[in-house]
Amino acid sequence: MQPSLREDYLEAIQHFMMTTGHSPLPHDIAIVFGKPEREIRADLEGLKESGDITFNGDEAINLTLTGKSVGECVIKKHETLQLFLSEILGMDSSTASSEACNLEHSVSDETVDRLGNYLKKTRPLGNIINDRQTPAVCGYTGMTCDESCTPPSLLDFNEGDELVVRCILGQSCAKRLLDLGVVPGEKVKIRRKHGKDALVLQVKGCDVALSPEIAAAVSVERYK
Amino acid sequence: MKIALLGNPGAGKSLIFNQLTGLGIEVNRYPGSSVCLECGNVCYKKEKIEIVDLPGIYSLDGGSEEEILVRKFLEQLGADVIVAILDATKLERSLYLFLQVAEFSPKIIAVLNMIDEAEKQGLIIDVDTLKTRLGVPVLLTAASEGRDIDRILPLALGSSRVVSLEVPYDHHIEAALKSLEKTMGTPRYKNLLALQGTGEDPMLLDSAGAVAHEIELRHRMSVRQIIATNRHNLSRKIAASSVSKGDQKKTYDLDSLLTRIFPGVPILCAILFFLLLSVFVIGSWMQEIIVQTFTTYIIVPFVALELSPLLERIGFSVLVAIEAGLGIAFPFIFTFYIGLSLIEDTGYMTRAAFLADRAMHRLGLHGEAIIPMVIGFGCTVPAVLSLRILKTRREKTIAAFLITLVPCSARTVVIAGIVAAFVGIAWAFSIYLIVFVLIIITAVLLSRITPGEQFGMIVEMSVLRRPQARLVLAKSWLRIKEFLFIAMPLLIITSIALGLFQYFGLTDAFEQLVAPITVTLLGLPEYAATALLFGIFRKELAFETLAVLAGTADLGSVMTAAQLYTFAIVTVLFIPCISTIAVLYRQLGARIAILISVYSVFLGLLIGAIINMLIK
Repeated sequence: MQPSLREDYLEAIQHFMMTTGHSPLPHDIAIVFGKPEREIRADLEGLKESGDITFNGDEAINLTLTGKSVGECVIKKHETLQLFLSEILGMDSSTASSEACNLEHSVSDETVDRLGNYLKKTRPLGNIINDRQTPAVCGYTGMTCDESCTPPSLLDFNEGDELVVRCILGQSCAKRLLDLGVVPGEKVKIRRKHGKDALVLQVKGCDVALSPEIAAAVSVERYK
Repeated sequence: MKIALLGNPGAGKSLIFNQLTGLGIEVNRYPGSSVCLECGNVCYKKEKIEIVDLPGIYSLDGGSEEEILVRKFLEQLGADVIVAILDATKLERSLYLFLQVAEFSPKIIAVLNMIDEAEKQGLIIDVDTLKTRLGVPVLLTAASEGRDIDRILPLALGSSRVVSLEVPYDHHIEAALKSLEKTMGTPRYKNLLALQGTGEDPMLLDSAGAVAHEIELRHRMSVRQIIATNRHNLSRKIAASSVSKGDQKKTYDLDSLLTRIFPGVPILCAILFFLLLSVFVIGSWMQEIIVQTFTTYIIVPFVALELSPLLERIGFSVLVAIEAGLGIAFPFIFTFYIGLSLIEDTGYMTRAAFLADRAMHRLGLHGEAIIPMVIGFGCTVPAVLSLRILKTRREKTIAAFLITLVPCSARTVVIAGIVAAFVGIAWAFSIYLIVFVLIIITAVLLSRITPGEQFGMIVEMSVLRRPQARLVLAKSWLRIKEFLFIAMPLLIITSIALGLFQYFGLTDAFEQLVAPITVTLLGLPEYAATALLFGIFRKELAFETLAVLAGTADLGSVMTAAQLYTFAIVTVLFIPCISTIAVLYRQLGARIAILISVYSVFLGLLIGAIINMLIK
């Protein structure tokens, strides 16, 4: 198998796990690549032999440590490159994404690290959340985000909406939310909402009432 | 042997504890209600077993009072066996805490409680799979029916086990844990806490902090979020493998009524109004019976003994204090507690908190503060005690000021006995109106000047349930006991002191001293000062003392309507009663207790003076 194809697979699996929180089935991967499932299965067998993945009993694909680190690394490269292309060079985001798909396989770790540092200096991190199509990596201590680029939070959605948590901004209130299961990748539903006031969030089968200032800290996107 | 019960709030720990020990401890349906450790002893197969009820928590690595307490308890191996109480209807969430407890490697058994609820929801739990996955014995119970509770002890003593299950953390975290273990020699659970910035060892925190920062930069996500996500993912996997969903009986979702603005808010108001009204009606009726019986059968025979004057004075004061305690505690406070417990046990309180959140934000608080405020309508003492459910000191301080202004049942008696009886019902309501306006003004002021951070509400909605009479009564009884325990000694001591005060003829001197305030400022008769002074130890005693000093129960014949109105409003606002000051001191320290007292004296005199001036 070509190294770039291997990286694409691992990236897709890791991405799937980060978005949904559970391991993908061959079927899920087939959808991502738009190839017949038979072909995908053959490739996956190859990956298994090279020690990148293992199969669970129910066919779910798990990454091994090496597989996971390769996957994460590629995702990071992809994101950094795409951001650089779109934000700094001004390419439109779909072209930037497909370009990043090609570049991610050849670029070195050091280049990506330096690019990342460069981006961090020039742009507030908040933008990354807003522009990225991929979810789930954001919101650590000390991160600031100006008003104009605030990502959509729970407050921007309506009663009955089914959503996926992207991240929790700010640290002070985050702990209890994390404990109650409001973690990146978690599927939640707004059970009740009164305008911009308190809302009831259904998470892990429990209803949790949140004040608006807490709800504003939970960045979410629509569940597809 | 020592056994500790541990679990999420509302998982049924306290109920199980009650059934195991036969001891009565409060079962509260809002999260975070039991903060201290409750212990009880039982005898099992001729062995003494101590059972500890740990406070309900969601996690072990947070910084709240309860979480620190439980963490310390586990670290010091406070118990031989941990009985982890899991909520069968919310297994996934319960497992999150279970996995954390397992990291401390105590001997555990898992008790899946509320299995009756789970059955109703059509959940089928595969005990064998769960047993294998967790590596500890699993027991299904239904505490509200008492089902299989008796099997907990034998299982805990016989087959508890250390969990071998480990959460597979993100490989960066795992690597950090391993390196910390190697360099610092600290156990895994300590390193995990240190990575999240919790712990006492500065060396460990320092090195963990550096690694954590590195990981956060790589992941663009806080270590806490990564760790929490990993734990939740494993919980989900375990729950998914052992719970399947069968047919669920379609039940009507009451929340579609209760948590909407309409009809939710009208329902909330109606419930509160009905609660207060019934307390007032039942309370006045019972109080009359109790006071009459007490006077006829105890006080009158005592006076007939004709002891020496000093002795009679002291004895009389003690009896009056006891009468006062019983006369207010049982009719009003006990009735209120029954009503309150009834509402709490249905799980409605969390809905009230949700609906009140917006209004409470205007007062510098959030929804959860509605609970102490409502309790304050019954009695200020337990309301102050319940302040512990608020998280920051700022919230506690603001709420404490407001609670002491809320008219408690004793003050309701004053309003009813003086204003409603002699001035008019509408005027009585106007006092409530004034008090509410003052509460709002106070809150707006305080939310501006009180230092500290505003922290919003994150509260789990309790499941709606039919309350059980036995539990409601038991809980009300415990609360009234707590009240009597705090209030009774203070009542008796203050009563004796005031009795002696009168005996040595100091009343006249005192009245002379404060005459400028009572007569000039407030336009009241001189003896009203003594009545107000008595109000410090029990609000509605001000009213009774006034009647005694005026020499007639028909107050309307000796004081003008304006004087009665002023007297009532000053009594209502003036200084919190002595029991309140005592619990304020215990909960928030001397500074706040003094500040609140001074503020209320100032407010009482100010409003009294304004009314007096307006009438003139």
